[in-house]
Amino acid sequence: MSVPGVGGDQKAASSLRTLRVWDSPTRAMHWVLVIAIGVCWWTGENDELEYHHYAGYVALWVILMRVYWGFVGSSTAKFANFVRGPQTVFKYVRTLHLRNTPATLGHNALGAISVLVLLATALAVVVTGLFAVDIDVLYSGPLSMYVDFREGRWFARWHSTLFDVLLVVIALHLLAVAFYYAYKRQNLVASMITGRRKVAEASGEELQVAPVWRFAAGAVIVSAAVWVVTTGFFY
Amino acid sequence: MPSSVFTRVAGIALVLSVTATAIVTAAPADVAMIKSRQDKLRDMGSALKQIDDELKRRSPDWDNVIQPNVQILHDRSPFLQKWFPKGSGPEAGAKTYALPAIWQKGDDFAKHARGMIAEAAKLEQVFAKKDASELRAQVIALGKTCKGCHDDYRSPDYEKDAEQ
Repeated sequence: MSVPGVGGDQKAASSLRTLRVWDSPTRAMHWVLVIAIGVCWWTGENDELEYHHYAGYVALWVILMRVYWGFVGSSTAKFANFVRGPQTVFKYVRTLHLRNTPATLGHNALGAISVLVLLATALAVVVTGLFAVDIDVLYSGPLSMYVDFREGRWFARWHSTLFDVLLVVIALHLLAVAFYYAYKRQNLVASMITGRRKVAEASGEELQVAPVWRFAAGAVIVSAAVWVVTTGFFY
Repeated sequence: MPSSVFTRVAGIALVLSVTATAIVTAAPADVAMIKSRQDKLRDMGSALKQIDDELKRRSPDWDNVIQPNVQILHDRSPFLQKWFPKGSGPEAGAKTYALPAIWQKGDDFAKHARGMIAEAAKLEQVFAKKDASELRAQVIALGKTCKGCHDDYRSPDYEKDAEQ
């Protein structure tokens, strides 16, 4: 999914056009997850655990929706369209030092790994939180009753450790975004806000937007699933 | 060896032997106390959890699950303060999350302990009514007394330590 981009290519600058790259649900999910993780972090550090739970549920909803959207969503959100094998990834890595490599419609081969690792780590943080036991029993996860005290404390520690891992992964993600902005002159943040990217006219690929009803249907199912989890399956 | 030097050497040897004896004799008891109180406090946390978990069920098992755990909390809480004798802090040499503030602010720690004893006693009284929502509220009240103490007198390292 490569299209000629703006990465330092002055000749192409005259024939730039704006291309739609990200659909609204993908962008909304990205930024809601950013906010949810931020709130989880702050509330966890400041002992506001009731709100920590709510933010965690929002994060769970977004992660599940993003996975769902990765199968039935718009073309750039679909895993099948951006997850690549090791060969493609290594090939891409070898071109990383070049400033005028073509921009990718959607995630590049390396960004795909970032998406998968971020989603997997965030999901692991949330799942361990669901089973975590608060030693004072005030703010245990909703599924903590399915584990005993010691197991629940094990989940609590891993919840904390995995969040530290998530912070490292996020830091790497931000470094990569900064690298693309400073070195390759590609503003990935702006694209994730506006959904658009400037590319050369020669581009043949277009974003295939999935219908809204598909997102709405997934939202209903995922909302129900998250609600059931929050009740500890005692609904 | 001149007598003054001999006296000095003998004095140092005596001090060292007394110190060594103190370490050898005092430390195991303090270390055992630390281990013992950690086990007991973990049991109490587990008891509170089991009550809380059971109360989430549609038909809680009052006699086989809730009652014995209420008993554990009620019976053990009066001994809370005794589990923290002087010398059983970090200076004992065993891993403990008990902060020196426990002994530095003994009166405040005792106040926390009395609060917990009162709430544990109330837990038993409320249990007798077998009203799930009322008992749940009391579980939370008791949990808050645990948290009050943990916030002030337990090291934050506890949350991340794999050996707790």
